[in-house]
Amino acid sequence: MADNAELESFRREWREEVARRSKPRSRAAPPSAPAAAPAPPRLPPTAYEAIHRKELEEEGPPPGSFDPDDLARQVDDLSVKPGEREEEDEFTRQAQAEPNSALEHFERAVEKEAAGNLGDSLQHYRKAYRLDDAVDKTYRNKHFAHVWNKKPTAQPLPSDTAAVPVTVPAAASAETEVLPTSELIASFAHLPILPAEPLIEKTPPPPCPIANVPSEVLIVILRHVATRDPSTFARMALVCKQFAYHFAHEQHIWKQICQRPEFGFQGMHYDFACDVIGQPIYTLRGERYTPFPEGVALEIPKPLSSWSQVFQSYPRIRYTGIYISTVNYMRAGAASAFQNVSWNSPIHIVTYYRYLRFYPDGSVISLLTTTEPVDVVPHISKENMILARTTKRGAHQLQASTDPGKSFSGAADYVPPVAMNTLKYCLRGRWRLASPVATEDDEEQGLECAPGQEPAPFDPRDLVIETEGAASQYVYLMNLSLRSPNASKSHTNPSKNTKLVWRDFWSYNKITDDWAKFNLRNDRAFVFRRVRGWGLD
Amino acid sequence: MATPQIILTSSDGVDVAVERTVAERSVLIKNMLEDLGDSGEAIPIPNVNEAVLRKVIEWCEHHKNDPPSTGEDEDNRRKTTDIEEWDQKFMQVDQEMLFEIILAANYLDIKALLDVGCKTVANMIKGKSPEEIRKTFNIQNDFTPEEEDQIRRENEWAEE
Repeated sequence: MADNAELESFRREWREEVARRSKPRSRAAPPSAPAAAPAPPRLPPTAYEAIHRKELEEEGPPPGSFDPDDLARQVDDLSVKPGEREEEDEFTRQAQAEPNSALEHFERAVEKEAAGNLGDSLQHYRKAYRLDDAVDKTYRNKHFAHVWNKKPTAQPLPSDTAAVPVTVPAAASAETEVLPTSELIASFAHLPILPAEPLIEKTPPPPCPIANVPSEVLIVILRHVATRDPSTFARMALVCKQFAYHFAHEQHIWKQICQRPEFGFQGMHYDFACDVIGQPIYTLRGERYTPFPEGVALEIPKPLSSWSQVFQSYPRIRYTGIYISTVNYMRAGAASAFQNVSWNSPIHIVTYYRYLRFYPDGSVISLLTTTEPVDVVPHISKENMILARTTKRGAHQLQASTDPGKSFSGAADYVPPVAMNTLKYCLRGRWRLASPVATEDDEEQGLECAPGQEPAPFDPRDLVIETEGAASQYVYLMNLSLRSPNASKSHTNPSKNTKLVWRDFWSYNKITDDWAKFNLRNDRAFVFRRVRGWGLD
Repeated sequence: MATPQIILTSSDGVDVAVERTVAERSVLIKNMLEDLGDSGEAIPIPNVNEAVLRKVIEWCEHHKNDPPSTGEDEDNRRKTTDIEEWDQKFMQVDQEMLFEIILAANYLDIKALLDVGCKTVANMIKGKSPEEIRKTFNIQNDFTPEEEDQIRRENEWAEE
């Protein structure tokens, strides 16, 4: 009976599907660290896709990874990856050539998923299915038509090869003889700046007055560039060889950056500098602790050997962007009343974001929302937060709230309603890095750790944040720690200390003196992303 | 009470009369006058042509009553991006003139003017990509693709 055979094969497929589904969960069951929480592979966004996905997987090997641990690690530095490093930020809609058709969205989603970029991938899957609910068939027809006639011999790819995205960086040619970078840079020492070639042959080249500038003056220019924005300094190094040399060798510029408040350690807080709602604390004590004070002889801390290394590797909070934690989790939905077959019950994928924006005055804005970065990140600021919170109770209070005593600088910028509605939920807070010296002052010390908790041993990377709670009697205490992203193929030397991993998260009730711990089962590390114009003058 | 005038001779042989206090914004001229005494003779400025010299004198005129800067340290503390409005207008010249002024300020040892010039250049660089910077200043990319990639990797940490 043909029917029977078909049913048999269907049952077999179904069993495989169930096995595949249950395996990652059971394997990742012991929650070791919050950062390594289970990330089920190839999350299907809808129940609809869940049934079709299986076919897709058997048709041919999608370029994805099937190792849940591997995926968990990839997902860890999740989601709002910059497409192009040159771009100053990616919080604008038109950043890259956006896919238009459902198929393009689907392809992009598969690509992102293969790169471990689950958050983006989900967005594209969702869009693709919204545009065309049979997009997966179209995709199969396009990409896997060649395997249709063969026996499906699909084996999940080994994870190490699977992690390679579609575009392999061309720079993998390490076989060619390469000078060590330091020697290469040293060889640039006395090279002149070359003027550009003329656009049209045999015409005079365009004027290049900077080529006549002696290097001591160039260094002054570079110093001004660097103290405005060290990342521009880094881009200067890619302009020509002479700049690359100065970038590596003008250590006094790096020392100055380290010491200045704008980007350096003078701007870090090791005690709370304000209260939870951002009012400054006035203290009778003298100087606050800073690791590299001005006006005294300084030594480069061991084992580092240069000031650029100090700037690179000392724990440091950045004011030039946003820290984002993207959380995806799955929740089983109720089965439809009309179908009692269990595999057809919907699975909800929930995505939410935690945002942290730090300010040099020791305050911080914390926001927990489902609004996507592109819709809200450019608008997260104290001014907009005040505006959003004062207009919370209705539009008619808008006039009343603009009392003449306060000026909202930047409030003139238009804030779209979707951002405004989100910004109401911003929580004010304060932050400090772990201090190597003890503080007696209670106000600057902040909340002691919860009862029954050993105070953590000093780690210079530890970060403490206190924010308002959902209601006025609560204070939230976030214990985080700075970490560096792993080097990857495309980013071999990424910025250090740009991630914030969770240590724990508490809620303190000021009235009853109760402590409650938040569950961080799904929560992910924060990753830093620059936002255009933030933290610069 | 007229302040004594001195004569400066530009590289293209033009004599320019200027008040001595104005000219003394230049540490080079100041030292020269102190060493030689005011003989009334024209002082040759061999590296600076007339147009640039007049521009520099214009700046010195405007800033002749500025308190003398107390050196590097105070300068570092000041907000780096601040350029006075008058100076911004003054620096709205073409790029060749801008760098001529910078070179003249460097040669004549007028630190404040050198700083204003360098800040102006730094502002032109701010927020630009390497390619845009090259375009702005007509600089040739003298890296091989491999070298460029190597440097990019080396410096990647500083990009955020």
